[in-house]
This record gives sequence, C-alpha cells and structure tokens, in this order.
Amino acid sequence: MTLKTITLTVNDLVETVDVPQNMTLLQMIREKLSLTGTKNGCAAGECGACTVLMNGEPVNSCMVLAAECEGANIVTVEGLAKAGKLSTLQDTIIEAGGVQCGFCTPGMLISATALLKRNPNPTDSEIRSAIVGNLCRCTGYVRIVDAIKMAAK
Amino acid sequence: MANAKSKEQVVNPIGASFTRNDVYEKVTGSAVYADDIQFGNKLLYARAKRSPYPHALIKKIDISKAEALPGVKVVVTGKDFPNRIGLYLQDKTIFATDRVRFIGEPVAAVAAISEEVAMKAVELIEVEYEELEAVFDAEFGASDKAPLIHPDLDKYVCPNFIFPKAGTNIANHFKIRKGDVSSAWDKCAYVVERSFKIPHIQHVPIETHIAIAQMDEKGKVTVWASSQSPFAQRNLIAHALHISQSDLRVIAPLVGGGFGSKAGVTMEAIPVALATKCKGWPVKFLLTREEEFYTNFVRQGLTIHVKVGCDKEGNLLALKNMMYWDGGASTEYGTNVTRAGGYSSSGPYDIPNVETDSICVYTNHPIGGAYRGFGMSELHTGLDQAIDELAEKAGVDKVTFLKKNGVAEGDVLVTGMIMHKNGIQECIDNVAKSLKMNEKEKPSSPDRLRGKGIAAMWKAPAMPPNPGSSAWVEMSEDGNVTVGLGGQEIGQGTFTVMAQMAAAALGVPYEKVRIAGPVDTQYSPYEWQTVASRLTWSMGNAVVLAAKDARRQILETVAEAWKESTDDLDIINGVVVSYKSERETSLENIVIYGMPKENNEGWTGGPIVGRGSFMPKYVTNLDAETGQGPRAVVHYTVGCEGLDIEIDKNTGTIYVLKGAASFDVGKAINPALVKAQVEGGFAQGLSSAMFEEIKLVKGVMTNPSFVDYRIATAPDMDFPLDTPFVEVPQDDGPWGARGVGEHPMVPTIAALGNAIYDATGIRLTNPPYSAEKIYLAMLDKGLVK
Amino acid sequence: MINPHPGLPELQYVKPATLQEASKFLADNAGVAKPYSGGTDSFVRLRDGILKLDYLVDIKGLEGTKELSFDPQKGLTIGAAITMNQVARHPDVLKHYPNLAEAAESVASYQLRNRATIIGNICNASPAGDTIGTCMILDGVLKVHGVDGVRAVSLSSFFLAPGRTVLKPGDVVVAVQLPIPPKGLVGTYKKLGRNRIGDLSIVAVAVLGYPTPESASGYRFRIALASVAPVPFESFKAEGVLSGNKITAELIDEAAGATMDSVTPIDDVRGSARYRKQMVKNLTREALTEVWTKLSK
Ligand SMILES: Cc1cc2nc3c(=O)[nH]c(=O)nc-3n(C[C@H](O)[C@H](O)[C@H](O)COP(=O)(O)OP(=O)(O)OC[C@H]3O[C@@H](n4cnc5c(N)ncnc54)[C@H](O)[C@@H]3O)c2cc1C
Ligand code: FES
Ligand code: FES
Repeated sequence: MTLKTITLTVNDLVETVDVPQNMTLLQMIREKLSLTGTKNGCAAGECGACTVLMNGEPVNSCMVLAAECEGANIVTVEGLAKAGKLSTLQDTIIEAGGVQCGFCTPGMLISATALLKRNPNPTDSEIRSAIVGNLCRCTGYVRIVDAIKMAAK
Repeated sequence: MANAKSKEQVVNPIGASFTRNDVYEKVTGSAVYADDIQFGNKLLYARAKRSPYPHALIKKIDISKAEALPGVKVVVTGKDFPNRIGLYLQDKTIFATDRVRFIGEPVAAVAAISEEVAMKAVELIEVEYEELEAVFDAEFGASDKAPLIHPDLDKYVCPNFIFPKAGTNIANHFKIRKGDVSSAWDKCAYVVERSFKIPHIQHVPIETHIAIAQMDEKGKVTVWASSQSPFAQRNLIAHALHISQSDLRVIAPLVGGGFGSKAGVTMEAIPVALATKCKGWPVKFLLTREEEFYTNFVRQGLTIHVKVGCDKEGNLLALKNMMYWDGGASTEYGTNVTRAGGYSSSGPYDIPNVETDSICVYTNHPIGGAYRGFGMSELHTGLDQAIDELAEKAGVDKVTFLKKNGVAEGDVLVTGMIMHKNGIQECIDNVAKSLKMNEKEKPSSPDRLRGKGIAAMWKAPAMPPNPGSSAWVEMSEDGNVTVGLGGQEIGQGTFTVMAQMAAAALGVPYEKVRIAGPVDTQYSPYEWQTVASRLTWSMGNAVVLAAKDARRQILETVAEAWKESTDDLDIINGVVVSYKSERETSLENIVIYGMPKENNEGWTGGPIVGRGSFMPKYVTNLDAETGQGPRAVVHYTVGCEGLDIEIDKNTGTIYVLKGAASFDVGKAINPALVKAQVEGGFAQGLSSAMFEEIKLVKGVMTNPSFVDYRIATAPDMDFPLDTPFVEVPQDDGPWGARGVGEHPMVPTIAALGNAIYDATGIRLTNPPYSAEKIYLAMLDKGLVK
Repeated sequence: MINPHPGLPELQYVKPATLQEASKFLADNAGVAKPYSGGTDSFVRLRDGILKLDYLVDIKGLEGTKELSFDPQKGLTIGAAITMNQVARHPDVLKHYPNLAEAAESVASYQLRNRATIIGNICNASPAGDTIGTCMILDGVLKVHGVDGVRAVSLSSFFLAPGRTVLKPGDVVVAVQLPIPPKGLVGTYKKLGRNRIGDLSIVAVAVLGYPTPESASGYRFRIALASVAPVPFESFKAEGVLSGNKITAELIDEAAGATMDSVTPIDDVRGSARYRKQMVKNLTREALTEVWTKLSK
C-alpha cells in the first residue's frame, strides 16, 4: 500500500508524516508521533477516549483518516498544558477528584475544553450533553461535572 | 530547638483527602498504560482465530495457508499448549484443543508484522468442526438431560473447598444448612417466594485487555499487561507453559479500569504462547472492543429462587435459596463466585434457619469471572427485593424491617461464624434520612409516578483462606520514602492510600512518600491479586508493617548513636526527636549512611529497608454438606443504598431524583477517595440496573458494541448523590480500615427494583429494569393506556 | 459472530478534484469504491467487515459540498460536507428550520456530530437516521451528480430498503435542498433511546404543522417516524385524520393511534415491536400536542 505524506500541526509543532492510507488520525497520533496520551477505547466513535481538537473542534480521532489531515491543526491532551503550566480544567479536575483510572481523562479534558470555549457558562445539563460521548466507567461522572463547573467559574 | 522541623504543623496523613499521587501524569497524557509502551519496529501483532460455534468438536485445523502468508511470523494452536490452568478449578487451556465450548473461544493465533496481515492470516486458518448439542440454560445444564460440556471434570485439579460433580455439568455445589428450615416455615406468619433471573453483564473498562509478551533467547518470558493480578498471572502462565515462575516476569503499568475483568488469566496467555515460538520478538495482543464484550470474563448469569419468612413482628425466621449460576464454558473463577454467593447468602441479616444451594453450572456461554463484588450484586438483587416484599406483607415499614433484622456483633452467621462489630444500623439510618424514606412524596407532574427504594448489603473479601501481601519501605538521601508493593493501581487510588499509611506509620509527611511502580514481579514484593476489596486492609497491613520495621531500624540507629533508649525517641514530620534529651536530627542524616557513634566509636545503622508481610491465618474451610465452620471469611463490609425516582408514564423512563449510599468503611484513610469509589460504584450499579445485559441468542452475543450494549453516560447520572460513610473500626485493619471498592454496586439493582415497586406496585424480577420493561408492565397492569 | 478489524482494513484514500472525476471514478470502480463524507457510518461497517471497499472517495472538497446557505426564494441548501453541528448552530437553520436543528442535535455525541453529515445520514439510509424524517417532511430534494450529469431526486422516492437507495454507481449527492418553509411552521423531534440522550432511537417522531386554508381543519401536519419501518416512514393516514376535522385533544389521540396502526416494527436489541408500537403512539401524541399548543397560541 502506498504511503501518503501529510504535513499538519500537532500541539503547535509542524509535523510531516508518512501515513498508510487506512491509518486513522488516532493511530497516527499514537504510533507515528508517539503521543500516547490520546486513548483507544473502541476504534468505533463510541467511547470518546480518542477525542482531540481538530481545527478547534473536538472529533473522535478514530473516525478521521490521517490521509485527509493535510494542513489540519490538531491539539491532543499533551497540548493542553502550556509551558509546564496546567490548563484551568486540568487543575480543576485534579482538585475535584475527577480522575480515577484516568483512561477517559484525556478525551474528557478535550471535550470539556471545547465546551468552555464555545460556552463559557454552561448549565449542568449542557455540561452533561457535551460529554455524553465520553464514557467513563469509574467515576459516575460526579466529580468530572464538578470540575467543569469549577473551571467555568 | 526553636523553629524545629518537628514542630511544624503537619496534617495527619490518616483521614486526609490528599490528591492522588498518579494524577498529574493522568491529566497531562504522560501516564503510561500497557498500550503506550514503545517496542520499536520489531513489534509483532497478534490476532486470534475464534470459534463460531457454542459447542463443537474440533476435527481438523489447517494452518498451512496462514503460515505461508508473507508477513506472518508464527501461528500456534492448542496442540502446543495442552496444560490446564485456572485460578480455582483448572479446567481451561490457552486454546481450545479437542472441542470448543463457547462462541469466541480461541482455537489458534497468529503473530504478524501488522494487524492487517494478522487479520488476513486468521481468515486463512481452516478449522473443521462437528457441532454438538449445546447448553444455554443453567438449570437445564444441571439436569441429567443436558449434554456434558466437560466430560473430564473428574480429572481436573481444584482446591479442597470447591466441589465439582463428575459426570455432570455441575462445577461446584456449595451448601448451607443452618438451623432447620423445613420446620421453620410453620412458625412464619408471612412468607414470600420469588424467582429472579439476573443476566450476564460485562465489566466494560474503557481500556480493553492488552498484553505484550517477549521471550528471550534463554527462554525467559516478559509480559507487559493491563492487569489486576501480575503475580497470579506469573504463576498460572508459568504453569501453562511448564516454565518456572521466576523465568516469567510480569510488568503491570497503570490499568484503565478493571472491575475484576483483569484478574486471573484470560487473553494474556495468547501473546505469551506466540512469543514462545518467536524468541526475541515482542508480540502485542490488544482486544477490540467487540472482543472485549464477547470473549472476556463476564459476570455470570444467575437464576435465583428465594423463599423467605418472618414472624408477626417482622423478625426473619427462615430463608431458602436455590441459585443456579450460568458459569459458562469454564468455571475456573466462577466456582468461587458460587461459593461466595453461598456463604454470604443470608445477606446482612440475622436469620436462624437458612438453607442454600449455590450451584455453578457449565454452559456454552461466555466464561464467568470476577466482577466487582462478585456473587453479591446477583444475590442481593433477589434477596433484598424479596425482603422488601416481606416487610410490606408483615406491615412493617421497610427501614424498620431492615434495622430490626440487621446483623449485629455476636450474631451467628449462616456459616457459624460470629459477626464482628459493624455499622449497618447507621448505614441504614443515613440512607433513610437522606431520602426521607418515611415520607411519601408527590411526583413533579401528573405524567409521572414517584417511588423510593432501599436495600442493605454486605460483602466479605472472597478469596482462598491464605492470600498474602507484602511490602518494603526504602529511603533515599533526601529523606524521601519509597514503598514497594505488588497491588495494582486500577483507578481506586490504592497507591495514594498506601503512601498515606506509610507516611503515618513512619512519621513523615505524605508528600515524602513515593510508590515504586509499575508493579514488576521481578522486584516488586508479592501480592496475591488486586481483587476482593482487600488491598486497603491486607496490603495496607503489609505496608504498615514495613514502615514500622523501617522506623524501628531508624530509631535503633539513633538510640545507639545517642546512647538513648528507643522508647524515648519518635519520628515526627521526618525528624527523629528525643523526648528525653530534646535532641533532634533529620532523616536525611541517617537513612543511607547511618550515624557516627559518639566518642569516635565508629558508625551505626546503614541503608534502611523495612519489610512487611501479612496473611490472614484464621480462615477455616467449611463443611461440604452444611457449609459450617468457625470462620468462613476475614470480615464483612456492610452498607445500604437507596433511590428516590420518578417514572415517566408515557415511556417508562426512570428519572432519578436523588441517590444515597452509606457504607461502613471502618476508617476512611482518604475520605475523598472513599466517596469517589462510592459514587463510581453506585453509577455502575445503576447502569447495570437500568441498561445492561449481554443479549445471548443461542450462544451468540448480539450486542457486542457500545452502540448496542449501553452503559450510563453523564446525562443519565444527573442527580445528587449523598454518600455519608460510617466508621466502626475493623479489629485487624490498619487504623480500623476495611475495603469498600466493590460494595457500592452491590445493592443498587435491588434498591432500584424496590423504588420501582414503590412507584408502581410492580415487582420486576429480571433486570435490567429498562424503560421498556417498566412501560410494558404498567400497560399490562392497566396503569397506563 | 463478528471478528472486527482492530483498525480499518487496507484501502486507498482518493480525493478527486471535480465532481466529474468523482463520478467517473466511482462508476469505474463500482462495488469497490464509495463516497466518503464524515465516515462515521462507513468506518464502523468497514471494521466489521460488512462493507468491503478498495477506495474511499472523499467528496468533501467537491464543488457545492461545503455550501450551507439560505435563500429567501429557494430555501436552504446543505452541502454534502456540512456536519450535523454546522447545521444545528446555523442562525438561518435555527430561525427557519429549528426542528432540523433539533433532529441534528439528537445524533450521537458532540464530537461525532463534528464529523457526521446530514447527507451521510440520508445516503446511509438507516431506518434510525435521525435527520431523515425531518428532511423528508420539509420536502427535501437531493441534488445528485452522476456520470450523466446532475439530477434532482425527491427524498420521498429516495429510499428502497434498509441501507438501499435509488443512487447508482457514480452518483454523488452534492446537497440537499429544503424549500422555504410554509408560513407559521412549527416542528419538533421526539427521540426515545435507552439512555437519556445520545443513543440510536428505539422510536423517533418528527412532526411539523402549519396553518393552511387548504385543509378543513385549517392546518396541515406532517409526521415522519424513525426505527419502526424498513425505510423512513411518513404516516399519511394520521396526517389525513388531522386535516379533516377541527383539532382537539381527541383528534390528536386518534391521529397518534392511526400512526401506531400504520407501522409494523420489528424486535431488535434496542426494543421490542410491542414497545415500539406503543411508543409511536405516545411520542406522536406528545409531539402533536406540543406543536398544536404552539400553533394555537
Ligand atoms: C457512535 C455512533 C453513534 C451514532 N449515532 C447516531 C444517531 O444517534 N443517529 C443517527 O442518525 N446516526 C447515528 N450514527 C450514524 C452516523 O453517524 C450518521 O448516519 C451520520 O450522519 C453519517 O454521516 P457521515 O458523513 O459520517 O457518513 P459516511 O460514513 O461518510 O457515509 C455514510 C454512507 O453514505 C454514503 N455517502 C456519504 N456521502 C455521500 C454522498 N455525498 N453521496 C452519496 N453517498 C454518500 C457513503 O458511501 C456511506 O455509504 C452514529 C454513528 C456512530 C459511529
Ligand atoms: S476510540 Fe474513538 S471513540 Fe472510542
Ligand atoms: S476514570 Fe476510569 S474511565 Fe473515567
């Protein structure tokens, strides 16, 4: 299978990558760029563990072909902290205790970051709707929702 | 001594809600899980060839075409790995050999240079089967009409507390005979008899199972796995491969959720088997979500017939339980689930006459294993709904009924064991108060019905009598402490709690303690398994012993150097102080280089290494016929949950208004983590109560994806949840602590069932209590048109 | 038994420059090439092995596919590359077709809706497709580019069977056009899943109504259903009930009953036929009542 060469920005760095044509954005991030913070929980668009920002909006990276990411701007969980300083949401999810096994956390943080960008003051039900595609089996979502509320304040 | 470090304000590490010590890595994406480990481009990818039949003889396997495919490194089948393994009953092989017993059972596996090639190779493996009659129902399976699934059952090895019946499909029959049940019914003023069928469900950790294995040229094997049981895996896999335990090394990084599914050995053996045939190459096997659903350990299904009776005042007199567990194709773990369901079958109630038959039956369904609180959710789903009904019949209010019958210190339990002090009364009170159980409240609209339900629970760590824990405590030049342990961080926060205990036992601030991770069987101290809610208690005891051992070494060093008695010395805030001479010195000065003795008499001490090991020694076996024995288990954690709900009359949809959960944790070492466990467990319990069911049609799981197998999402959990805990100390627990990891999901189905009953007058026996079931039942009853 | 592929099976990603090129490529590779928009349906089926393809033909850059515009004469045009979220937040959609925004927002999760498209939803032709019914009762017409050029296909004649449409090899749907909504239109989308939100529907009902002198009741209603028939289904029988008489609660009940009687759903993992029928009635009643309450204000 022929490889395709794409150039894109990932966490503010410009990367040029050779990707197999059936490779998903998720696989590219994890396997080609070794950014393993983004998780694979289903490879089918269902769990949200693979959520990244693509051109500012959250997407399931398992549902995007790497080959079509020419020129895209991608932010993964590794790109949330700037110069060693955690983002507000990273701070509040720690403070609220919204992390257990941590496998959903990267995708959860990306979805919540995008939510607060488009809606800085979400209601409880807006928060819950915004993370309906981020499954968490550990926390019951209680402290995750708390963390998003704390960050919104 | 002004401004001495020892006088600085310190937080007592016990009972403080410290931030988890793994959280920075987890929020920045730098936390390492098994699939994140980099192996370079020599890495091979494994895929499994799986049985499409629930029960069939394997006539022929042809792997030649697969082997010939370019890019395929190795293909293995069962004939290379005939050894039987299993945690309790050794009835399983890595691959099916002569017959397949469930759909999805591995019959062969491939390692290739890419997943695509491995997939193609799997398709090229040709297997000829001869289909056999299959068993899809446990009660039928236990009868003599059922075809045998394990004809060699009599040859299987198992410990002396498991009772398989050769020549049948019964893998374990656990019995309780306490008092005289048959004569007790006459004394009962009220009796309730009910049957419940609890479906198979899946654990659904968001990280699917994964293992990577590599064998070196000398035959030593290393396994990296998402694992709750690195040591049990070392033992079982070594056994299966006929290699020595110390030639097998299991490295277990962070786990992305386990809930019991990653205990024991399941798919991990497959990459190991492949790795033995291609020395030097790492082989990775990552289950797809679909495989996670239909090939892994499930929570086995249960059919339970409950008969329970009480006197006029509502005192429980007699209980009879018939339990048929759908153990699936292998019952290596399920036999113990059955046992646990049996020896705790009275629930947290004082009942003088109890007869229980807990029967584990082979079927051609997926294999049953440990699932968070195994046996107990299933049991309580039946028992606590029957009791709810009995309370109503007896005209005793439900809260009073639970309290009246709750187990108390000194009660003789179903096994003959004597109950210890516990806080069940307070737990029930907490829930009753939080939900205003004594008030009937109005629904928010005429389109809705409102109801409240409550259910109590108990659970003991379900394990062999002698599961051990061990730990070491070391220090570095900066006075920081490293704790070595073998229990796993699976999200519950055990690394944080262990650091707190080590800090408190040693006398250093919490921030000074690190955990030596990841757990690695090559250098981490032994731990039986991360299961049974046993770590806080068992591993906690080992860590405390190790910290105290280190503390003793430090104090002896200082005492010798200062010519004082250790009785006058203490470690406070990382500083050794003498109450007698009022001297003090920081740990930094001592823990590696020791101390110079006075008057130039040389040195004392040296690098400090504390060791601790803990194993319960008092648990006894139970009589095979009566289930009686002095001490069946180490202890019980008790608790109670309740729900205040509304039901939409147009759709049957449940809206939870409020939830409450209260457990007696003995001592909350980290209250925030206790609450987080309870919240998560409650949500998992509620999810299983409302949505979850593995839909099996002739052995085929018809819903093996998140689209078809629904779990609770954030909008489903949009209600306040009250989680006050109770602290009645455990006599042999560290600071009185006992476990609470599993318990929060145990009573939830029953509590919801009781709330639905309160709202509608309908007793739904078979979970999940979906909107559909509720609506159709309301329709049949004429509650809606 | 399914043994899904861990990732996507081997295939080629093709990005044609023009519609002509796309249609030709798709026609030349009939059976092994398909249009690719958000991929949220295709990926799942490719992994499961239900769909086997050599080529995914990305249509997102093609002329007209990125259009999302409202014209006071012609109505709304939604290009094939337009996602559910783009539709759900577009001011003209919210103003003139709020019921479409509601339906689009009911699909899966926010992040999936950043990929999933309305056209993909329509072309996938699942009986559960959430935006199909609303597009149908808004009289949507597809603009299809085939090897012989462009043609218009009405949604009412588009669906043949689950997953099957009148599209031929080489066809690319460029956009869906929704005419100017009737004056005074009120619409809603009621979706019942197993979870509170985000699930595929057990049953879903799209309803709209508007005043018109042409009907005896003074109003016209349109009712479309999801997940209860092999293809997206409009209940003409119930619509007839509502046009003939003065609208009352009883008439709404009757229409809801007629809707229920007009479908014969199946049992599947999401729900039984029996429950589905009941829910068709209850959701239709709820939707009609809501629409009628607003109309009669
Ligand atoms: C986790 C998950 C949850 C989902 N939940 C929902 C839900 O709640 N409701 C719902 O309705 N759907 C749901 N879906 C299905 C899917 O997201 C929608 O149907 C979506 O709208 C499809 O759009 P797409 O652009 O991703 O389609 P694609 O996958 O790109 O295409 C779908 C089909 O249409 C064809 N096609 C696409 N574009 C064109 C074109 N321009 N011309 C001709 N043919 C074309 C493709 O060849 C393919 O056969 C879900 C999917 C997933 C993975
Ligand atoms: S891995 Fe992409 S949604 Fe689950
Ligand atoms: S913290 Fe484990 S899945 Fe969310």
